[in-house]
Amino acid sequence: MANGKQASVTTPVPRVPTGEAELLQLLIDNVTDYAITMLDPKGIVITWSSGGERLKGWKADEIIGQHFSRFYPPEDVAKGKTDHELRVAAQNGRLEDEGWRVRKDGSRFWANVVLTCLRTNNGEIRGFGKITRDLSERREAEEKIRKQTQEILEMAAVPVVQVWEGIVLVPLIGTLDSQRTQQLMERVLNRVTETNSPVALLDITGVPSIDTQTAQHLIETTAAVRLLGAEVILTGVRPAIAQTLVHLGIDLSSVTTRSSLSAGLRMALEALKLRVVPAPVGA
Amino acid sequence: MGPETLSVIKIKEILVVTLPSDPDDSTVAALQEKVLVEMERHQAKGVVLDVSAVETLDSFFARTVTETAQMIGVMGGRTIVVGMRPAVAITTTQIGLALGSIETALTVDRALDRVMLASSTTLESFQ
Amino acid sequence: MSTDAEGELAIETEGDIVATRHTVREVALALGFGITDVTRIVTAASELARNVYKYGGGGIVRWRRLGSRERSGIELQFIDQGPGIPDISKALEAGYSTGQGLGLGLPAARRLMDELEIRSDPGQGTCVTLTKWRAH
Repeated sequence: MANGKQASVTTPVPRVPTGEAELLQLLIDNVTDYAITMLDPKGIVITWSSGGERLKGWKADEIIGQHFSRFYPPEDVAKGKTDHELRVAAQNGRLEDEGWRVRKDGSRFWANVVLTCLRTNNGEIRGFGKITRDLSERREAEEKIRKQTQEILEMAAVPVVQVWEGIVLVPLIGTLDSQRTQQLMERVLNRVTETNSPVALLDITGVPSIDTQTAQHLIETTAAVRLLGAEVILTGVRPAIAQTLVHLGIDLSSVTTRSSLSAGLRMALEALKLRVVPAPVGA
Repeated sequence: MGPETLSVIKIKEILVVTLPSDPDDSTVAALQEKVLVEMERHQAKGVVLDVSAVETLDSFFARTVTETAQMIGVMGGRTIVVGMRPAVAITTTQIGLALGSIETALTVDRALDRVMLASSTTLESFQ
Repeated sequence: MSTDAEGELAIETEGDIVATRHTVREVALALGFGITDVTRIVTAASELARNVYKYGGGGIVRWRRLGSRERSGIELQFIDQGPGIPDISKALEAGYSTGQGLGLGLPAARRLMDELEIRSDPGQGTCVTLTKWRAH
């Protein structure tokens, strides 16, 4: 990097008092989220910064003196994109572009670039200021957040909890449509397999109403869990639900049911030959 | 284990049969034959069918498994299917094949425990 | 191969049923279907391929990737020049067997896929088209 005394060449602002030039240089050097570069009127790189090195991989002595088309994919260079950009920036004062750029190692990243035309007082083009921002990280971060949100929503939609060794609990809240049932079946079965849990408690205390389809889905889930070698206990079957099921003529004889979650849990523990006993006094 | 290879191991008086991941129809048919022959040869009390490698269980395969279990039953043995993959279980249930009243277990160990425990009390239950 | 937009396989030998499962699995996975859906698609394909081999006297399976911005899909077409299906609606009923043993294949495939279309007439052969979608 040229020494700070060459103020009028290295700073992006044409006329600046010398003392502040050093501060500005300090600023440019310490900004790492953006690559701030100066190009001469033909597009040759004349200044570089740590941000530029971090973003594009080039060290100052490697890139100063080269044309800024080094940063563009070959197909864009062939189309004359860089010349076009300089022309437009000169004409309009600035140009903003989003597109692919290339690092020193050849890898690509999605960038936001602002080219600013820098003129002297009499209108001569002194050079161009170029500020490049890497958007790929932002994109990746956005994608990551989106995925995490989706995972959280899916888990909230069908939470599967291991309440004890060998017992998996699914507290269902809300209604069960086809899509949710798919998620339910996959998550319960995967958990049962992963943990080798012989009992799965499906708790429908939080399911407001039951229709034929939902009942069918629950029966199907039970059958699938059985194929794995585990057993399902349907818990939280409240009087209103029981009435609906009988009125709808739904045959739940293949499913073990209990009216409350605790009753179901007791049954699960018995099935695993476990008993809950009071701790001795003074323990 | 290749997609076609079937393995049969004898543990005490139980046969543990490991099914291949994607057998063709002839292999599936031969499996039935082989299991019954081995069962007779070793006078096995039961057969554990390990399906943990099986990727696709269509109606032909499922029907063969169900029939084989029935035949084992006729020969006085017990069949337990072990390790079905979630995706396979869900698909099988959706088709409505649920393998009838066939017994299932989560692991080969548990299946073995179950058969051995049962055989030690068999005579008592007849009295 | 699985990245092609479409393809075709002959179903002339018993081994071709396995080959069909294998290819369909690759295509379904490449399209981004989850493992459960892949299993459904492959199982349906296995049923139809067996029908073609055993009852259709041999034939082909054509596969095609479908897609738009909102969703991707797979289309499978099973074609044979066999005796045809005399009563299609009956064939779709679970457990039905024409005596030629079509059995559970078609009803199974119908439950597993999103769309199923049959064109068949006695003496005209059979064409079964299966489709499954995946939202993006």
